[in-house]
Order: sequence, then structure tokens, then C-alpha cells
Amino acid sequence: MSLAFRNEIDITVWLAGGTIADVAIRPRSRPPLTRLFAGKPASSLPSVLPRLFSLCSMAHQVAFLSAVEAARGEDASLEIEHGRVVAVVAERLTELLRGLFVGRLTLDGAGAAAVRAMMEATAVLGGSIAERGEAVSRREAVAKIRASLAALGIASEEQTPGAGSALAVHLANFDGDALLPPVVEQSFLSAADDLEIVMRLLADGAIFSDAPDLHGRIPETGVWARRVGREPILPPGAGPAERLKARIAEVARLCAFLEADDGTVEDGVLQSYRVGTGRGAGAVECARGRLYHAVELDDEDRIVRFEFLAPTEWNFHARGPLVRSLQGSVLAGGRQGLDAVRTLVGSFDPCVGFSLSFREIGHA
Amino acid sequence: MCLAIPAEVTKLLPDDMAVVWIDGVSKEISVALIENLAVGDYVIIHVGYALTKIDPEEAQRTLELLREIGAESREAAQ
Repeated sequence: MSLAFRNEIDITVWLAGGTIADVAIRPRSRPPLTRLFAGKPASSLPSVLPRLFSLCSMAHQVAFLSAVEAARGEDASLEIEHGRVVAVVAERLTELLRGLFVGRLTLDGAGAAAVRAMMEATAVLGGSIAERGEAVSRREAVAKIRASLAALGIASEEQTPGAGSALAVHLANFDGDALLPPVVEQSFLSAADDLEIVMRLLADGAIFSDAPDLHGRIPETGVWARRVGREPILPPGAGPAERLKARIAEVARLCAFLEADDGTVEDGVLQSYRVGTGRGAGAVECARGRLYHAVELDDEDRIVRFEFLAPTEWNFHARGPLVRSLQGSVLAGGRQGLDAVRTLVGSFDPCVGFSLSFREIGHA
Repeated sequence: MCLAIPAEVTKLLPDDMAVVWIDGVSKEISVALIENLAVGDYVIIHVGYALTKIDPEEAQRTLELLREIGAESREAAQ
């Protein structure tokens, strides 16, 4: 088999001395799911989605189910909805944490065991998408997550991992002047944007979802945007260390939510919208940011139209938040500055595969 | 989005590493996040790490789906 699509984003950073002069992004191919799903029974697709999406598979399933239910004019029960929120939060926690290590830090035996234990535990909670499962096994799973986080140096929402942990050492590399980003106006996606996005998805399809914007605005989504929702005042010119600390704080906060099992994690984790006869949409706040599915069904519950928009399309837009954060940044010399760029790119998305290359202006 | 592409484990190496066969290419990856892996198993890979083990039937269904997507992509490009 030869894959007919690219599964990685190519990022080229153009340097002028120690300053980033320009950034070029070549996006991945988006699979033609609209064509693939057309005519298929809606009920046949939830099992297909995890085969397609290795990461955020729970978020994709929940977004799809929510969209289909909205299109049918159905409402999920509160218990089912809570189970879905728990499953999405557990998956978000796993991917945020795993993304701190995988491809970034070398995991020693104990670190790998802790990440592995957490992945197994969150899989138990993911089972709650279908049914809530035994309360005992859920409690045990959450206790395992807490123990795994402690083993990795994450004990609270204080954003600072335990002294001496691999994470603390990693973060120390980016404190100070490894990368000084420009002070630019920032814009963030929120649930308040959902309806406009859904309508644009259904009106314009891939023309919109390949390179989305909201009247010229290309907002950031993900950890940093969620932090703004909780703490509107951000440190100016926040670099990779601040962004990673925000991710660590969110991991700890999500764990606390799972332990409590009765609170709300934030507004808009899961939303659904009925937008006309047979048309519905689901929005889910996953690790990378806000994910959208929109469907149109015929009278026999078959897919007439399917559209989706991944958070990556905002953050890695050619004129989007990553590019705005990098352009004009001043880098420390040598390896430290280049590593800071790589870490900043990774901080925008814990899941995306990307290749990063550097060119010096005048040496093209 | 990140597509799930199954890879077959063809050789286990020391230090939690393995060689896998993916899309006609042989690649060395870390298997530190998966226990009890054997040659012939299928795994899902992300940025050089095997993330999950899947059974061979599921791997075949996934590969068929990816072939279908590939065909749709080519058709859409024409």
C-alpha cells in the first residue's frame, strides 16, 4: 500500500541572524471523508472513526455522535453526556501528558512505565462513552492516573514540576532568553464561535476547513486558549516554557476533575447544535483545541454531508497563531534557540507530527 | 488530525526499540510505551513511538480503509 496523503506538517523557519524573519507552513493532506462517508448509514461510522484517528479518537467519536443526535433532533441523557465528558477529559489528559514526552524527551524506564500506566488507566475511563462502568474500576483508574502524574513530577496545578524531574530539567532549558517572542495581538477560539463555524462548515465545506478564518481572524485554540478562558491576563511574549507550564497545570487540573467526578471542567467541553432539518453539529474541546463535526442526514439516516474541522487547521494556518508567535522572535545562539523553536511548535499541539527545518536568509 | 497507520513489528531490538514495516518502508521506533510486544504484532505509531497494539484483523480493516481513502484522494485530485 502506498499512502496517497501526507500525515505530517512541514515547517520552514527563515532566520536573519538571530531573528526569525519568516515562517512557511506546508499542511498535511486532509482525508476526503466527505466523499468517503457519503451514503453510508450514520450508525456505521462511530466504529470507523477510531480506525482513522489514532489520537483524539474519543473526541472524534463524541463530536460525531453529538452531531448525528442533533441532526436527528435527539438529546443524549445527562448520564450519557457526563460519561462522554469524562471520556474526552481522560483522553485529553493522556494526550497532553504523553505529548510532553513522546518525541521531545527521552523516557527512562520509570518514566515510560508511568506514561504506560496512565494510558491504560485512561482507557478504562474512555469506556464510559458507552456505559459508565463500575464505579470501583473508575476510582482505581483515577488513582492510577494520580500516581502516574506524581511519578512524573506533576503534583498540583502550580505549573512547576517537581525539582529534579525530567520535566523540570526540560523546562529549565527554555527559561530566560532561549526564545523571546514578539508582543503581538492574540486571538482565541471559544465556544462562542461555534455556531458561526458550523454554519461556515456546512456552507463552504473544505474551502473553509482547509484554511479557516472568521472574518480575517485566525484564532488560537488549545491549552493556551483554554488558559485565557480561565485567566484572561497572559504574560506578554510568553515563550515555550510558559506554554509548557500551562499544559502541565491543565493536566493536573483535569486529574482533579476526574477525582471529583461531579464538577464541571470548563464551559463548552461538549456542545451540539441542530441547524435545520436533518442537519447537526458537535463541538468538542480536545487536547489540541476545538474539534468540529457537522452532518446532514437523509430520511433513512444516511450521511448526505459530512464536514469536520480539526484544531490544527487554526494553529498551523499559514497566517495563524504559530506563525504570529514565531515571526520576529529573537533566538539564543546555537542549539538552545533552535530547540526552543521546536518546543514552541510542539506546545501548540501535543499530537501533530511535524518536520522543522531552518534556513538562513541569503543562503536559500 | 493524525491518521492511525498500522505498522507490523518485524524485529525487536534492545533498549525498548523495534523495527516495523509501514507503508512499504522499514523503520526503527521506540516501543517503550507497550508491554509484551512480539514480532508479527501490529502497532499504531506516532512520532517514532508505538502507542497502542492492535489485533491483526483490526489492522487489516484499517489498512483497507486507508486504501479506500487513498483511492478517493486520487479521484478527487483528478
